[in-house]
Amino acid sequence: MSKDNELDDLFKRNLEDPVNKAAYNEGDWDALEQMLNKKKKKRIVVYWWPMAIGAAALLLLFFGWWIFKPEGSDQYSQNKAEKHQKINKDLAGHPKQQNQPLQQKASQVSGPLSPENLAVSPVKGRKGGGFIKPAPQVALIPASSTQTTAPQKNDKTDTGVKQNLMAKTPGQTVQKPQTDATFALSLPAKPDTGAAPGQQKKPAKIRSKQSFSPRYALSILGAPDINGVGGFQQSKVGTNVGFLFSVGITKKLTVSTGAIYSVKPYLTGFGNYHTPYQFKVTPTTVTADCRMLDLPLDIAYQVYNRRQNKISIGTGLSSYIMLRESYKFSYADTYETGPSNYTVPGTSKYFFGVLNLKATYQHQVNSKFGISIQPYLKLPLGNIGYSQVHLQTTGIAVGVTWNLNPLPKP
Amino acid sequence: MGEEELQQLIKGCIKQDRKCQKELYKAFYGFAMGICLRYAGNRDEAAEVMNQGFFKVFTRAGKYDEAVPFKAWLGRVMINTSIDFYRTKLKMAYTEDLELADQLTDGELPDKNLNYDDLLKMVQALPQAYRTVFNLFAIEGYSHEEIAAMLKINAGTSKSNLHKARLKLKEMILQADASADSPDHHKDINYTRVVAIKKVDMRDIFLNNDTRE
Repeated sequence: MSKDNELDDLFKRNLEDPVNKAAYNEGDWDALEQMLNKKKKKRIVVYWWPMAIGAAALLLLFFGWWIFKPEGSDQYSQNKAEKHQKINKDLAGHPKQQNQPLQQKASQVSGPLSPENLAVSPVKGRKGGGFIKPAPQVALIPASSTQTTAPQKNDKTDTGVKQNLMAKTPGQTVQKPQTDATFALSLPAKPDTGAAPGQQKKPAKIRSKQSFSPRYALSILGAPDINGVGGFQQSKVGTNVGFLFSVGITKKLTVSTGAIYSVKPYLTGFGNYHTPYQFKVTPTTVTADCRMLDLPLDIAYQVYNRRQNKISIGTGLSSYIMLRESYKFSYADTYETGPSNYTVPGTSKYFFGVLNLKATYQHQVNSKFGISIQPYLKLPLGNIGYSQVHLQTTGIAVGVTWNLNPLPKP
Repeated sequence: MGEEELQQLIKGCIKQDRKCQKELYKAFYGFAMGICLRYAGNRDEAAEVMNQGFFKVFTRAGKYDEAVPFKAWLGRVMINTSIDFYRTKLKMAYTEDLELADQLTDGELPDKNLNYDDLLKMVQALPQAYRTVFNLFAIEGYSHEEIAAMLKINAGTSKSNLHKARLKLKEMILQADASADSPDHHKDINYTRVVAIKKVDMRDIFLNNDTRE
């Protein structure tokens, strides 16, 4: 063992604390300084990005929900409330100060139509409630309690059990908590949006030096979404199924395109419906059923990537190819009606007529497959379809992604 | 550097003052590099590890306890950073069969005037796992139990790695000796035997052959 000690000693003596063996190198300091500078940025990125992204995704959803809330929605809900008055056989004679003659007519005649109305409106109520509900819960704002109870009340009155007074309240209760929630949500969200654009530019600078080759991926996705005209107050649930082909052109930027078959039903007041046809009797609402091919061309920027989880935000334009458009018209008066439906013949195309906004969370299951969840919002840049409506859509797409060239293993 | 001056610099570093950081970096560059060089495989790696160490020092300067001499603390940080840097590599077992080298010469170590650079090169030439254990045991003076805990290996592995490290170093010293004496001496024999052995450092075989003859 003494030999071992001798050997150890030889090295210890020489290597333990060499004096002036390693000459100072300015290049090393530069490298460290870069690390220190990067750290400041990284700290912001690491701790704030996921939050900023979460906020951005939520905003994306709420944006369509609240900002685009049309003025007419007040009238709509009040109109609805009045319908219930009619159902309760509390016939005319009540002063309806705020309503236009048309709506008055609607409420008066809705009595005989009540079975249909009943069939439609509770569903609407639930759907609306179902979609509104989760949002305030996520935001953890007390307003959610009033929010969620509102549609329930609405349902109750839809069954037509309640009295006059009760029937009148839902119109107001539905409306007021919503506006409260708008305030509650928009206030905390604002600072986040303010910070987000500033930060977005930073990660771009910290570009890794690793060589990059384009990555190709194929995704199949399906999405329930809600469609509304001018807002999502009178929304209906649609279905989308399609595939996307995406190419990672840099480490962070991905371009994608594909085809999505969409079923977009929507309901709108006749005021939003444009047609050269002269209706003798003006319908109150229009229920549309559109089948279309949505051809998106999007670009997405990856803002977060850790382990198997990626978050990206994207935007782009969609072209719609209308395969089938059919409209059903509801009239106020059962005896005095016009055409009940209209189907637009042939197909029509709207190139790059829709703006897409999306946030994508992707979880890589293995080197080949990943799953993704993508909240999105589609805003029309022009009027879409035969009826020239301003149809907007929001939804959450769920998909499976197949990497055509597997990711290199770390 | 005086103690007072050092404390001033440390205070500056806590405040993330870039000038103080640079001055401290310059002052301890040689010391830190000396440590990292013998844990790393080459100079570039050493510089990278050292910078990571300094990065930790600067970002966690607030955690520095004044009761401990700064230099000792810095040294610990550098050693720990070196260990962290290679921990993943260390886990990869070296399946190398050192039975061959076991019968290595019992002769005295040649009394050669090996300088810092020669010895550093030898240490750097060791496989990672051996180098780390050798550094911690022979130079830093840790026990096998301590090393086992630091590297998350068992004490037996630590002992075995130390043993193998010493054998290899001896070989290298002998080889340095031999090549100094007669540079062409071994070449003819060596190249005939290497073929069948997988993953074994050639020097093992060269030297074994020598000793058996």
